[in-house]
Amino acid sequence: MQIEYKNVTKEYEPGFKVLDDVSFEIGAGEFVFLVGPSGAGKSTLVRLLIREEIPNSGEILFDEESVLEYPKEKLSELRRRIGVVFQDFKLLESRNVFDNVAIALEVVDAPVQEIQNVVPNVLSMVGLTEKMFKYPRQLSGGEKQRVSIARALAHEPDVLIADEATGMIDPDSSRDVVKVLEKINSLGTTIIMATHDENIVNSLKKRVIRLEDGILISDKKGGKYRG
Amino acid sequence: MVKGWKILLEDIKKEKLLSVANLVIMTITFLVLGLLIYIVAFSQTTLRTLEEEVKVTVYFKDEFTEDKIKALVDELQKNPRVRDIKYVSKQQAYEIFKEENKNDPVILDALSPDILPASLYVRTKNIFEVPKVAADIEKIDGVEGVKFFKEAVERFTQLSTIVYIVGFVLAAMFILVSYSVIIATLRTAINSKGSEFEVMKLVGASDRYVVSPLLKMGLFFGLVASVFASLILALSTYLILQAGLFTTGVQFGFVQEIKIPLWIFTAIVSGTLVSSGLILGYFGSSAAIKKYLKY
Repeated sequence: MQIEYKNVTKEYEPGFKVLDDVSFEIGAGEFVFLVGPSGAGKSTLVRLLIREEIPNSGEILFDEESVLEYPKEKLSELRRRIGVVFQDFKLLESRNVFDNVAIALEVVDAPVQEIQNVVPNVLSMVGLTEKMFKYPRQLSGGEKQRVSIARALAHEPDVLIADEATGMIDPDSSRDVVKVLEKINSLGTTIIMATHDENIVNSLKKRVIRLEDGILISDKKGGKYRG
Repeated sequence: MVKGWKILLEDIKKEKLLSVANLVIMTITFLVLGLLIYIVAFSQTTLRTLEEEVKVTVYFKDEFTEDKIKALVDELQKNPRVRDIKYVSKQQAYEIFKEENKNDPVILDALSPDILPASLYVRTKNIFEVPKVAADIEKIDGVEGVKFFKEAVERFTQLSTIVYIVGFVLAAMFILVSYSVIIATLRTAINSKGSEFEVMKLVGASDRYVVSPLLKMGLFFGLVASVFASLILALSTYLILQAGLFTTGVQFGFVQEIKIPLWIFTAIVSGTLVSSGLILGYFGSSAAIKKYLKY
């Protein structure tokens, strides 16, 4: 599985480029940081990959298939192959941890038995077995984010994207979340982490793709970031 | 399929207050629509009943013999404007007069059977035709005079036109209002679950998966609300019939000859409400859900 952005440009308003002719590739199993200040275009890159947005020009390939040419009815399939974790967690307050993760399987009409097997597994992977029946309001920010990661993992995605996933949690919890992401990466899942947290980026020494004002500034393996 | 309905019932249970509020709003909307149709039908029926009482009375000169009158009756019966004709001979007119004045022997002594003229009572199919039919008959040789309550007929004609037009305009307007209310109600119910749809889409739910329970919700609310409204209308029909009103049926619309029994009319209105409930429920929720399918 490979992701390829080819000369991607995106304008939300005419004349205001959020991404300007951006090109790069991400190979299977990589751990990549997308860094840059707020408004650099990191989240837009994520939204383009899951086709929540359409670029004005350029092409995005996922596993050699153009994301733009995916028929609408196959989009749900694409989104199951790309798990996304958001800064605001996007958990359902009315559902407990188990049910919040189970929703990912319910939407594909997974059998009850499969849900009963998979959900505890992914919760164990993110270290939340004990909190399975708690509600989001009873969890810390870091725990909420780990629930969100568990939900993204339920489909065993090829890629997991963490979009500013540590933006709303304290440094200790952030480290926990990053450890979980490293663990998932070690099992073969590609991780793309959009962040502007230099401590996290610099501590992991992974590939760093830096954006500023929608332009790709640098792309270095074992890179550093100074915000 | 069964699972979808199960999810729907769970959602209704979770949001009891909102669900009850939505059902009440939709039931009231359907009920008001049904009652408006009833009011239009009842006022039209009442007007028609009164219209039927309006007739042209034709008096003949003595030389216009009974044979000639009968020939005229035959001719008038072929007139498409005429509903029915009643002939009262000189003798019958005298008998009626005697009956009406049986307690006044002075008047009776002063009157002989020859004095009262033979007459025809002509009823038209439509109140608008009364002046035209009266004018046509008046031109015939041997007719001494025609009588009808011109002013009353004119006022009645105006009133009938107003009731028909206003009734239908109100019903049409209210159908539009109902549609808006039902869409808004369903949108409230759907928006309350908006974040859930957003998450479902993000974790890879197909449009069908997201849409299906919502369409079922629209159908469910539309069906239940319209059935409740229909039951209340049926109860009203029972009470109206118990009070001895409209026992011969109601007339609705511009077709005048047909009188529909009240129970059948109620069944037609209920059927219309339930079908509208299903149609509005389906299309209302489809319209309300569109914004959640854009990504």
